[in-house]
Amino acid sequence: MAGTLIGEGLTIEGELTSDEEIVVQGTVRGTLSSGDAVAVAATGVVEADIQAASLSVAGQVTGNATASERVDLQAGGRLIGDVRSARLTIADGASFKGNVDMEL
Amino acid sequence: MAVKSIISATTLVRGNVRGAGSLEILGRIEGEVRVDGDVTLAEGSAVTGDIDATTITVAGAVAGNLNASDTLLLEAGARVVGDLTAPRIGIADGALVRGKLDTSGGAPERRPRAVATAEAPAPAVRRPARREEPPKARVQPEPPPAPAPARPPARPAPAAATQRAAAASQRSAAKEPPAPSQGARKPPPPVVPALRKGARARKKKSKARG
Repeated sequence: MAGTLIGEGLTIEGELTSDEEIVVQGTVRGTLSSGDAVAVAATGVVEADIQAASLSVAGQVTGNATASERVDLQAGGRLIGDVRSARLTIADGASFKGNVDMEL
Repeated sequence: MAVKSIISATTLVRGNVRGAGSLEILGRIEGEVRVDGDVTLAEGSAVTGDIDATTITVAGAVAGNLNASDTLLLEAGARVVGDLTAPRIGIADGALVRGKLDTSGGAPERRPRAVATAEAPAPAVRRPARREEPPKARVQPEPPPAPAPARPPARPAPAAATQRAAAASQRSAAKEPPAPSQGARKPPPPVVPALRKGARARKKKSKARG
């Protein structure tokens, strides 16, 4: 397991920065940024602005998401906030509220 | 408790980390860590802030207090600046610690406070005792109808002696410092104008007369 894993039951309040992949199964409040992929698992709750190479959301995200490569909103995922990414997929069963900007 | 969290080597957390489950820290955390579970600080990790957990294993650097409800282990290469509190503390050869250690266990959060309050009054009691003695000696001689006549003459005498000694030392101290300072900076200018023409001759005359 290379990369950061925020397990279920763990809460981070503040700034989380990494060059590696971040998997959020717990809760993050504040700012979340990674030079690699960020994955919010089904149990994950993120109340933060996210900056990453790619973002995959299966849990709940409240905040603006910026990804240099792609954003994938998976089934069961909830995203409330603006998305800035060249690519965006929203799976059937996902909920999304916000603006999309794909001009990067 | 089976849930495991990892803060990777390139990860920086600025803020508090709380919750349950084991936590492995390879990166940096600037903030408090309160976890109901095991916390492991790997080599190369750095935490600035207090850590509260069930078990803490440290091989990295910590600037903050470590509080474990079960076991606290410092492995070789660990660097800790802060107090350690746990029922069991293990420090391996090669670990660096600067701080207090408390293995009294039980409720670890209450003990540090009890220790602090126990230490605080001790000097507080000693200091007033020292302060009380000199005021008696000073206050009693001032009013003439002092109730205890035996004490005033006994204590003021050495006090006066010490005052004289202090005054003498002050005079000597007052005289001594300028000389070396002048000598060190510019010896000739003050010496030459200090003695006017004929000053030595006058001294010799006065000595001869006296």
